Amino acid sequence: MDATAIRDQIKTHISTITGIPVGQIADSASYVEDLGLDSLSMLELSVNLEYSFKIKLPLERLPELRTIDDSVRIVQDYTDPARV
Amino acid sequence: MAGKAVITGAGIVSSLGDAPAAVHRALCEGRRGIRAFADGAALAAGVGAAADVAYDLQPHFAARNVRPLDRTARLATAAAGLALSDSGLPMPSFPRDDVGLVLGTMFGSVRTIADFDRRAITAGPQYVSPLDFANTVINAAAGQVAIWYGLRGVNSTIAGGHAGAYAIAHAADLVELGAASALLAGGAEELCAAAAAAFSRAGVLCDGNGDATPRPVPFGSQRHGFVLGEGAGFVVVEHADSAAQRRAQVRAHILGHATVCSGRAGRATADGEEIARAISLALDAAGVTPEEVDCISASANGSVDGDTAEARGLLGALGARASTVPVTAIKGMLGECLAASGSLQVICMLESMRDGVLPGVPDFQPADDGATLAGLSARPRQVDPRRGLVVAAWNGTCTAVVLRAADRS
Amino acid sequence: MRRRIVVTGVGPITSVGIGREACWAGLLAGRCGTGPVQSFDTGRHGANRGGEISDFAPPADLAGFGRASQFAVLASRLALEDARLDRDAIDPQRAAVVLGTTSGEPQFIEQFNDAEVASPPGNTGSELAFSYPCHLMATRVAADAGGWAFSLTIPTACAAGNYAIGHALDLLRSNRADIALAGGADAFSRITYTGFARLGAIAPERCQPFDRERKGMVPGEGANMIVLEPLDAALARGARIYAEVAGYGLSCDAYHMTGGHPEGLGAARAMEAALRDSRMTPGDISYISAHGTGTPTNDRVETAAVKRVFADRAYAIPVSSVKSMIGHTMGAASAIEAAVCALAVADDRIPPTCHLENPDPECDLDYVPNHARELRVTTAMNNAYAFGGNNASVIFRKVEP
Repeated sequence: MDATAIRDQIKTHISTITGIPVGQIADSASYVEDLGLDSLSMLELSVNLEYSFKIKLPLERLPELRTIDDSVRIVQDYTDPARV
Repeated sequence: MAGKAVITGAGIVSSLGDAPAAVHRALCEGRRGIRAFADGAALAAGVGAAADVAYDLQPHFAARNVRPLDRTARLATAAAGLALSDSGLPMPSFPRDDVGLVLGTMFGSVRTIADFDRRAITAGPQYVSPLDFANTVINAAAGQVAIWYGLRGVNSTIAGGHAGAYAIAHAADLVELGAASALLAGGAEELCAAAAAAFSRAGVLCDGNGDATPRPVPFGSQRHGFVLGEGAGFVVVEHADSAAQRRAQVRAHILGHATVCSGRAGRATADGEEIARAISLALDAAGVTPEEVDCISASANGSVDGDTAEARGLLGALGARASTVPVTAIKGMLGECLAASGSLQVICMLESMRDGVLPGVPDFQPADDGATLAGLSARPRQVDPRRGLVVAAWNGTCTAVVLRAADRS
Repeated sequence: MRRRIVVTGVGPITSVGIGREACWAGLLAGRCGTGPVQSFDTGRHGANRGGEISDFAPPADLAGFGRASQFAVLASRLALEDARLDRDAIDPQRAAVVLGTTSGEPQFIEQFNDAEVASPPGNTGSELAFSYPCHLMATRVAADAGGWAFSLTIPTACAAGNYAIGHALDLLRSNRADIALAGGADAFSRITYTGFARLGAIAPERCQPFDRERKGMVPGEGANMIVLEPLDAALARGARIYAEVAGYGLSCDAYHMTGGHPEGLGAARAMEAALRDSRMTPGDISYISAHGTGTPTNDRVETAAVKRVFADRAYAIPVSSVKSMIGHTMGAASAIEAAVCALAVADDRIPPTCHLENPDPECDLDYVPNHARELRVTTAMNNAYAFGGNNASVIFRKVEP
């Protein structure tokens, strides 16, 4: 799936969770340092991505997701039709 | 030591605005905060109007993110902020271990809990919102307010329609025990369509009788029910000594309080026995005689049986004084805000103590049911409120609080 | 001079036993009351363990109540019976009920939603207004006890039982009441279960507090109510006294809604406040009934908080978590654990932390692994921590003749 489309969806969800306008969210923003997301908000984002993309993201992989780029990659990974 | 708790600040968010003086002025002008209610589900159940907080709360939150807070918590956070700032209590950038919060609520939020569960059963349990889950506990608003303002002192949540008044009474006890230097105390209640619809089906709500908006008239001869409202009200309660030490402006002294229940699993007595007893015990605790009560803020909301019971309860507790003491009942204008009501009543009583005017009950005409209180009036009156009594009653539980105006003995 | 207040009756309803004798025997025997969830489909929750009370048969006269209210009323009946009180001798105007809960009666919301999403939508009535609100739970207990004239529900989530006991303690100390029923109740709830499952907080097999391999909590249900009265009144009527409620302390983390302060500062402050209120020092505590949910974070942080308060002495105080056996019973938890403390003090025995097999270097206190222990228990501290950062500790003390 197209990375831009994924990134836009991620930013939309982040905007809903944080109130930060989409236009002010940098493409490669980091969740903690740039966006101030706590653990509950990170989980919220993960659930929203699961719902948007119809995937299941294992909870134990959440701590790996430090930036928007990390999330783009994991969504691509889990939406990849080749994935078993 | 009893009778040493004082109120040093107040904050209110209501259908008539969010500045106590402005709300008081509106009440004295007989203005109602009742508006047409747009929710489809509620309309379907016959709920056409409510006293909702129709204005944007965002200015209360500056640039901070409110997504984690549900509406109940937002109402509470806004009112709490107003109360803290009104009290002048120093709130440094670090959390305070000695400042806390006692919050009364009836529902927490039915909407939050129902929406969370709705998503689980429609989309699937794996897609529920973690942020919303955090708000499905009834003490969520109290937790959110504590996080927002860094309040690490005693923090408690009380449930019930009387709970806003009870929270203030309990806070008085806690500061007298030294459990906290200062406590925000009051109630918060959000208007939830599902709950409104349930009240409507029970037949207890006032309809418009063909008018655009219903006009509930507490104690009134034509009354036929109440209108729901929403809002939040907090006062800052401190020990008189601490308040003096920081040269706080004292608004009122909490002289005494009592809470009595009917013992009938949420049903009030027809004769207001629990109301009478709560008032008598509160007056005893305050060392105030019925004759010394200068004005009363009653809990009456337009309910046929409830208002009669309260009138009988007042007569039972106050004897001869019941027929002369000025009485107001603000729920005809602010709506029945459930747990928030008791704290809104206290805050409005502080305003009456400040300017000597007691709001009237718009459209009031005396009822002929043997429970008449001569001190009720459709128009506002001048009063000299050294000692005010606030009565908060719901479902057979009554909290009565006796206040003394500042600088009056 | 503050009135000394004692526990003269307990009425637990748990998945390892209903009533004092069965429950205490079950806990001391290390019986496990958790297993696969029966009452709803957990196929999509990612978890399936719960602590339901599968053999609970509500008395016929309580059939109209929600399950949590049934628990609360029955627990109160059991406690009053256990206290061997002459009901007619109680002045209802001087009798109080204070009840803690996390969810109240969530089944009404679930039923409302089920009706709304059904096709065609089902009818709903006025339950959300007049049956559901949780303040009614305490009023039902008060009515059943004999029209008691004070009732209050304190919905401070997973610390609610301790909050209720502390509140009742204040009422009795200040002479606003002569007798109180205090405790907590919660029923198994799909709302609660779904939320904890979504947080990834539920253990796949069993609750293993303080174990290195612990994977989470197990939501449960239950209730306990205790009878509290002044010491002199209890002595005068020849009551059996389990323990004195020496004091309590509250604090708020003001940090995070579902996770506590990472260093347990709020938990420590609640313990310290309880010690101050009890006029005790850390050296006075013989046993701690831990919050001990079995989540990786809680148990580590709670251990750190205990060490913060007790310093090196922490290693000499046995700490156990009955959540290992009955799971996390929400608002009932600290109420049930209050019974544990009162009974420990009376009986000089403490229940184990079950399923503790792998030591965790970050949790290195004495958690009474797997077997109950006989021990002189002079004082017992009961700790509870809740969503919203509500922390509460209650201390029980032996009453020597």
